[in-house]
Amino acid sequence: MKNFLQRPLRLPRLRPYVPEPDDPPIFWFNSERDEIVREVVRRVVEHRSKSSGQMEYTLNEVAFHEVERLEKQKDSESRESLGKWRGLLRRVSRMNDDERRDALREIALNMAKDVAGNFDPRVYAFAGHAVPRLLTAVMKPASLPLALVSGAPEALDKMLITEGCIPKLRRLAQIGTLIFVPTHSSNLDSVALGYALMREGLPPVSYGAGKNLFTNPIISFFMHNLGAYRLDRRIKATLYKDVLKTYSTVMIERGYHSLFFPGGTRSRSNLIETHLKLGLAGTGIEAFARNQARGVKRPVFFVPTTINYALVLEAETLIEDHLKEHGKARYIIEDDEFSQIDRWIDFFRRLTALASACVIRFGEPVDPFGNDIDDDGRSISPNGQVIDPSTYVMTRGEVKVDGGRDAAYTKELGETIAKRFLSDTVIMSSQLVAHVLFRALVKATPGVDLFGRLRYRGEVSMPIDDLYREIGEARDALIALEQQGQVRVSPSLRNETPEYLVDRSIAFWDGYHTRIVARRSGTDMVAEDPTLLLYYQNRLVPYAQRIAPADLHDVATEIVRMERR
Amino acid sequence: MTVKVGVIGGGGFGRGIALSACRAENDVVLWTRGFHKGEGAPYHTTTDLAALKDRDIIFLAVPSPYMSETSTALGAHLDGRHLLVHVSRGLVGDNLQTLTRVLHSTTPCRRVGALAGPLVADALAKGTPGGGIVGSLFPEVAEMVREAIAGPALKIYGTDDVVGVELASALVGLLALALGYAQGLGIGPSALAVLCSRGIAESQRIGLVLGAREKTFAGLAGFGDLVAAASGDDRPEMKLGRAIARGVNVTDAGREAGAHIEGVTIAERVASYAMRMHIEAPIAATTAAVLAGKMTAQAAVAALMSRQVWVE
Repeated sequence: MKNFLQRPLRLPRLRPYVPEPDDPPIFWFNSERDEIVREVVRRVVEHRSKSSGQMEYTLNEVAFHEVERLEKQKDSESRESLGKWRGLLRRVSRMNDDERRDALREIALNMAKDVAGNFDPRVYAFAGHAVPRLLTAVMKPASLPLALVSGAPEALDKMLITEGCIPKLRRLAQIGTLIFVPTHSSNLDSVALGYALMREGLPPVSYGAGKNLFTNPIISFFMHNLGAYRLDRRIKATLYKDVLKTYSTVMIERGYHSLFFPGGTRSRSNLIETHLKLGLAGTGIEAFARNQARGVKRPVFFVPTTINYALVLEAETLIEDHLKEHGKARYIIEDDEFSQIDRWIDFFRRLTALASACVIRFGEPVDPFGNDIDDDGRSISPNGQVIDPSTYVMTRGEVKVDGGRDAAYTKELGETIAKRFLSDTVIMSSQLVAHVLFRALVKATPGVDLFGRLRYRGEVSMPIDDLYREIGEARDALIALEQQGQVRVSPSLRNETPEYLVDRSIAFWDGYHTRIVARRSGTDMVAEDPTLLLYYQNRLVPYAQRIAPADLHDVATEIVRMERR
Repeated sequence: MTVKVGVIGGGGFGRGIALSACRAENDVVLWTRGFHKGEGAPYHTTTDLAALKDRDIIFLAVPSPYMSETSTALGAHLDGRHLLVHVSRGLVGDNLQTLTRVLHSTTPCRRVGALAGPLVADALAKGTPGGGIVGSLFPEVAEMVREAIAGPALKIYGTDDVVGVELASALVGLLALALGYAQGLGIGPSALAVLCSRGIAESQRIGLVLGAREKTFAGLAGFGDLVAAASGDDRPEMKLGRAIARGVNVTDAGREAGAHIEGVTIAERVASYAMRMHIEAPIAATTAAVLAGKMTAQAAVAALMSRQVWVE
C-alpha cells in the first residue's frame, strides 16, 4: 500500500490531449515524454560507452552504490532489487561489450523513466481554480462564500505579494526559455512560486523535486501532474547524475520553462545563499550551446527570484539542524513541519491573518553569460552594447559544446545570481524586528560566542521605546539602500509604524512557533528565544553593518563575523 | 592552426609578447598609441582598436591605471568570442580588485585570464628560455595562450585560480621592490631569504581573504616569480628598489627603472586593506611607509627585524 501511494498517480484520459498553439510549452510535454526519455538514454549511453573499460567502470559503480544503499534501506525496494544489483556486480567483468551496453541502456532507461514527470492540463486548471479556494477555506473559513462568489481567493492573494519585472517576463516567455532560479527557504517555495506564476500569467515550469516530497500522496499527485520530475538524492551513482543532467538539458533545449533552486537545498540558517553551485541550473548553458550548434537560435533567460517569508513553516527544524550539525546538516529532512498537517494549518492561519506575509520578487533576467536582457530579449553587455549570446559558445568562429568552458560560465553565472539575490531580497518586518532584538542581545553579551549567546533565553531585554527607535532608524537605512538598488523592503515594512511592525511580528511568531520568540514585559521587550531570532535576523546579515548606527557598528560587525565562522 | 593574436600596448612587455607570438608562427597585430611604429618588426602595428576585431585572443599589456579606459574602448569592438589576457601586476581600488574583474565589467568578453610568473620583457623579446602561468576559469584560455606564444623556449602552465595568479603576481611585484630596496641597503642573503619567505606568507594571507588559493602562491605566479627576481632577472621593480635605497626619490627612481612599476601604486592600498581586514602584513606596511617617505631605511629594517617570532 505504501509503495502504491508513493507511485505517481495519473488521471485516466480517453482521448489524447491536443494542446492549443498558444499553450505554454509544458502543455506539449506528455506528447513528447517518450521521445525525451529516449533521447536522454541515447545521450547517456553514448557518453558512457566510449570504451569497454568505461562501461565496466560505470556498471560496477552504479551496482556498488545501489547495493550499498539498498542494504541500508532494508525495505520492499531492497527485497525487490538487491538481488538484481548483486547479480550485476558478479557478472559485469564477464560481460562482452554488447551486453554491457545493453545493461547500461536498461539502467539508464529505468532511471530516466523514474525521473521524468507528467503534465496534465486538467490538474493544472484544477490547481489554478480550486486549490487557492481550498487553502482559503482552511485558513479563513468565513471568507470562503465571498471567494466563491467573487471568484477571487482573497486570503491567498493578500498573503502573497508578487513584484518585479513581470510584464517583461511574459514577453520573454514568448521569445525564449525562462529558467527561474529562486532562493530556497521552505518546501512551500515551489508551491508558492507555482501559484505566483499562474496568477501572474507566467507559464508553468518544469522543476525537479526531491523524492521525499512525493511521500505525501496528495502533494505527490499535484507535483507529478504539474511538471515536476523526481530527484532521488539517495542514489549516489554518477550515472544517475548524468541522467538527471541530461534530462534537464533536453528539457531546456526543447524550450520547456524550468525552475531550479541554485542553492540546492533549503537555507538552514536563513542566510541569503551566496555560494551557488547552480547544479542542474547549469544545464541551461549546455542546452543553449547545443541548440546554437544545431542552428536553433532560441535564447535562454535566467530569472533570479527571491522568495521572502515573514514566517517560515520549517524555521524551527531548519535552524536547529543548522546549529546542531555545525554545517554538516542533514541533506534530506523528512520529519520537519512540512510533513505535519496540523503545522500547515497553524502556519497558514497565521499568514492569512496578516497581509503580505510572503513576497516573491522576480528579478531582472540575465542571459547564461550574466548579461542583462532588454525588453526585446536581446543580451546587453556591461558596456551597454547589444550582443549576440551565441558568440560566447564560439571558438574561432565555430559554435562548440565544451564542458570545461560551460562549467566556468556556470560558476560565473552563480556569482551573478548570488549578487542579484542580495539586491532583490525583500526584507520583511519580522526579520528586521528579530535583527534589532538580536543586535541588542549581541551588544549585551560581549565576548560570548554564538552558542553561548543562544543560551541567553529570556535574559536580555531592551526598552520598548529603544526598540521602536532602532527599528525606525534601521528601516530608514534600508530604504536608503533600496534607493541605491542594494536591497528591497516589503510594503508593510515601508509603510507601517515601528509599533505596528513589532506587534505584527509578535503576532506572526506567537500564533505559530511552539516557542515564544520575544515577549513584552512592562516597558521592555525580552529576547526570549535567541535561536529563532537568529534565524529570522540572518536575512539581514549582509546589510547589518550598513544599517547600524555608528554606536552599534561594532556589534553589527560581530554579527557578520559570527555567521562567517 | 594559426592563431590570430592581438596585443595592446607598445611597451617592452607588449612587444615581447608580440615577438613570442611571431616566433610561434602566428598572425600578430600590435596596437599602440603611435609611439612604436614597429619598423622592421615581424608583426603588424595599428593605432585603431577596431583592427583587433578579427583576433582570436588579445593580450593587454597596459599599466593598471589605464586598463579600464583601454578595455572600455576596446570592448566596443569585441563580443563573446574574444579571449582576453592581461599581463599587468596591478590591482585596482581600495578593495584590491583584480584586473580580470575590470575586463569582465568593461567588455562583453567573459573568457578572460591573466598571464603571470617569471616573465620579463627582454627575455620574451629575445626568446630566452623561461615560463609563465595563465590563470583563468576557462581551460581554453590557457590552451590558446599556449598556442599563441609558447614554444620550445617558453613554457606556459595553467590554473583556474585566476584571483590567486593575479594577486600573487601583484604582491610579488611589491615584494620584488622591497627586495631590491633591501639589496640596495646591503642586507645579506640570510635576511633576504627571510624577507622572501615571510613576504610570500604575507601574500598568502592577503590572497586567502580575497578568495585566492594558498598553493598558488607557492607556484610559478608566486614563489617562482620571486626566485627569478632574486636571481637577478633584472626586473624594473628591483632596479627601482635599489635606486630608492640609494636615496633617489620615487619619481626619479621610476624613470631610472624604465617602466611603470605597479608595486609603487599598490603598496599603500595593500597596506591599508590589510589593516582594515585585520591581516598581518608588516612587509607591505613597511614598504608603503618607505615609498611615502614616512620611514627611514634604518627604521624599516628595525621594524621588520624587531618583530616577534612565531612558529612558521
